[in-house]
Amino acid sequence: MAKARDIDVAPSEPFRQAAARIVRVRADELADSSDGVLDTRDIERVHDMRVASRRLRAVLEIFAPCFPQSEFKSVLRDVKGLADALGERRDPDVHIAALEDFSKALLPAARPGIARLVEDLRERQGRGNEAVAAALDRARGRGLHERLLALADAAAGVEPRDGQEVPA
Amino acid sequence: MRARAVKGLEPDGALADNAERIVRTRLDELCGFMPAAADPEQVVALHDMRIAAKRLRYVLEVTGPCFGPYAKTATMIARELQDLLGEIHDCDVQIPETRAFAERLQAADAAALRARAGDAGDLDPALLKLAPHARDHAGAAALQAYLHARRLLLFDRFVALWGEYERKGFRARLLYAVGERSGR
Repeated sequence: MAKARDIDVAPSEPFRQAAARIVRVRADELADSSDGVLDTRDIERVHDMRVASRRLRAVLEIFAPCFPQSEFKSVLRDVKGLADALGERRDPDVHIAALEDFSKALLPAARPGIARLVEDLRERQGRGNEAVAAALDRARGRGLHERLLALADAAAGVEPRDGQEVPA
Repeated sequence: MRARAVKGLEPDGALADNAERIVRTRLDELCGFMPAAADPEQVVALHDMRIAAKRLRYVLEVTGPCFGPYAKTATMIARELQDLLGEIHDCDVQIPETRAFAERLQAADAAALRARAGDAGDLDPALLKLAPHARDHAGAAALQAYLHARRLLLFDRFVALWGEYERKGFRARLLYAVGERSGR
């Protein structure tokens, strides 16, 4: 599992400055974890991205009072949507891996039932993958990463950069 | 589960002062699920306690360095608790799913056997081996037994683990760490 980057914090630094720095790091971690996430042969990638989305969501909620509220709510909704889609893929991934291990411990006569259940879960996994693909497209289309960085800038009191127009 | 609102947060105030308020609220939220969650039937309380552990873990992960070495221990405790409660939650999700799967197989076989029996006055047990899922029931039944047993075992581990945290003064030590930090 990808480890979260350590972020130096100073007890006396303003809450909003810490918010800006931490959200930038977590937003980059989410963006960096999206490569190969739709490959069902490597279930760790979707796991890493899901964990990154959870950490990002958590820091957004921790530092919520530091952000402009309307944009914050819109960004948080999009992060939750992405996290939910990743969960739709991750849940069958985990279940399939556990059942494949479980099956090895069974007498051969009992294995066909588990294989049938795994087949059902493969269908769910496929639907979950479609949900992740759609959520990734949506996040890119709505400029989620850029909006997260803009949110961090707003927390730190940085003026919007030229041309920084993002959908609400 | 909706997180309890944290009162008095100040964006221009010091990180540690704000983080202290959040940690206190999240810790209180987590500990508030006991003793209710020590009842194995309280599935919702256990699930909500897992989410409370996750929230405490994440706030400690980013603000822990403000509060000295015990914050790191508390982060590991919150994570350990979250992971164990997550495993129990997986059982709570998979048990009804597996039961529903087994029932679907049984219903499909019953319908197929009835159709095969045709105009017979009674059902010949010999037809059972021709049922479409005849080879699948054993695995489904074994999985249900395994999941029930695993849930029992993990729940016992949870109760023991919480007892150990209490004996080691987890709550009091974390409150002390966030309240008595140096440089106040």
